[in-house]
Amino acid sequence: MSAQLLISGVIFGLSIGSIFFLMAIGLSLCFGLMRIISLDQLLYYSVGAYITYSLSLKTGSVWLGVLGGLVVAGIVAFAVERLIFRRIYERELTFSMITSFGILIGGIGVIKYFWGVVPRPVAVPMLTQLNIVGTEVPVYRLIIVGIAVLVYAGIWLFLNRTIIGKAIRAGIENVEHVEGLGINVSRLFTITFIIAGALSGLAGGLQAPLIMVDPQMGLEVLAFVFMVVIIGGLGSIKGTLISAILVGQVVSLGSLIYAPLAQMAPFAIMLLILLVKPTGLYGSPLLKK
Amino acid sequence: MMKAFRWWWGLLLAFSLLALSRAFLPLAFVNEVVIFSIYTMGCSFLLGRVGFISFGQPAYLAAGAYGTAFYLFYFGTNPYIGILMGVLSGLVVSGIVGPLFVRLRSDYFALVNLALAVIIYYLMQKVLADITHGDNGLWFLTNIASTPLLDLGKPNHFFIFALLVAVAVWAFYKYLDDSIYGACCLATKINEDKLKFLGYSNYRVRLLAFIIANTTTALAGAMYAVYLGFVSPEITSPARAADPVVVTILGGVGTLYGPIVGAFAYTGMKDVISKLIGNWELFIGFLLVFIMLAGEKGIWGTLQSLLEKLLSRKKAAAGTADNREARH
Repeated sequence: MSAQLLISGVIFGLSIGSIFFLMAIGLSLCFGLMRIISLDQLLYYSVGAYITYSLSLKTGSVWLGVLGGLVVAGIVAFAVERLIFRRIYERELTFSMITSFGILIGGIGVIKYFWGVVPRPVAVPMLTQLNIVGTEVPVYRLIIVGIAVLVYAGIWLFLNRTIIGKAIRAGIENVEHVEGLGINVSRLFTITFIIAGALSGLAGGLQAPLIMVDPQMGLEVLAFVFMVVIIGGLGSIKGTLISAILVGQVVSLGSLIYAPLAQMAPFAIMLLILLVKPTGLYGSPLLKK
Repeated sequence: MMKAFRWWWGLLLAFSLLALSRAFLPLAFVNEVVIFSIYTMGCSFLLGRVGFISFGQPAYLAAGAYGTAFYLFYFGTNPYIGILMGVLSGLVVSGIVGPLFVRLRSDYFALVNLALAVIIYYLMQKVLADITHGDNGLWFLTNIASTPLLDLGKPNHFFIFALLVAVAVWAFYKYLDDSIYGACCLATKINEDKLKFLGYSNYRVRLLAFIIANTTTALAGAMYAVYLGFVSPEITSPARAADPVVVTILGGVGTLYGPIVGAFAYTGMKDVISKLIGNWELFIGFLLVFIMLAGEKGIWGTLQSLLEKLLSRKKAAAGTADNREARH
């Protein structure tokens, strides 16, 4: 394998990993704090992509579209949280999983109603290539990686430096104690859910120029996002980052060696890790109380 | 003796109703209902008895369907052996992944199963496209030889066969429920520490339940393959992953009649609604959310408590005993 192929493969893997990270962090945060598995994050991903498509057609700017996707996905997440999830926080884990799967499937139906089933293309906002050690690398992919790094830093600062973030971290440890301190846990849940949904929307918006936008797009990345979350361990942000990079590289470099490997290899890795540690790399042994 | 007779009575009643519906409903519809109820029984057992929710049932359905399809397309013509092959392949697949999966916590279990379904989808659609013909699927309707007594190539004969299989599967699960093993399954759902204390291995109980349930699912897949005469990767598409879970919940989790009632209601609604609006996902998604929020007892669960009230008002002691029997 030549060095040029390797470099572009690594960059490609990093950008895929960044998208996975942005989506998986929502699932992971929701599990950590609210003890729910929110499969509907995949819906906000498609919503973000479709809003990006529509806005970039209207205004001509993809970046504006991505921003719009982020905002709309956050609003949809807010509505879903208020209408549905508030009623089921107290229930067992599988309950939230079934309900959110229903929201996901129903939401795909709504998307089909508004945009139809035909796949839509989104223009790549930056076509310039950057030269890294003699290899032409698309700048857009580097920007995706940069945004993911910024988001990770932002989330880290938010969780460690702000009062709300600290309350969220305390809530991940023990919700009852946080409630006992007089912090409005219900509002905390809503904020976390909106952040999760908005980040999924951002992932969709960033991914939109790289693929065709179609209603089933959420289901297509579903397996990979799950693998990222499972390998990293539910509820751990650091674990999510590491496993997102890992899965991204495996998908990208695997496809350089043998194309079908890209889909199968992460699954094999996931099985191996689960064999050694059934809760993933950084997963907490916590169960829902 | 009397007890045994009573539950047979319920069984015969349920299936004779189903057989009767053949007279005034289209054959394709009742065939679909019967196969679907077999498909759901495995999922219902996992969810209601062992407490495992699996969004990966299509993976095992596909294992059964492709086991049958490979045999009928490449090797033989006898549909019975084809179905046997499908069941065997389901047994092999669940035997391989089972020991890995049942060690997991229930949340990880559901995610891993769904990932498996997607992986099998890719496997059948792209990786093994030389053998499975990718999205075009395998067509082998003309390969199916006619067999004496029950000719599975004919839909009306197939219906009788499917009904017999469904009765057998149902009776098997009923038997499991009343056995010590069934009690162990419930115990591993409710209190695994206590079960361990009694000297049973949670792992073994779960593994056996996993294999039984998914072999049943593979049987349904094999029957789909023979009935439709073709198999494509669409059978394990992630968009359909929720179907058995929806039907299980629709019918009532953990009840024995639930899968039949649920399959009937679901297939009926699907037929009616897909004629009215093309947007099937919209409906099923919101139906699922609605059922979850409105109370997860399901159709049969609600009916059952209504029936019990009605019968106890009449002071028909035999009737209540029968219903109580049906619940266990």
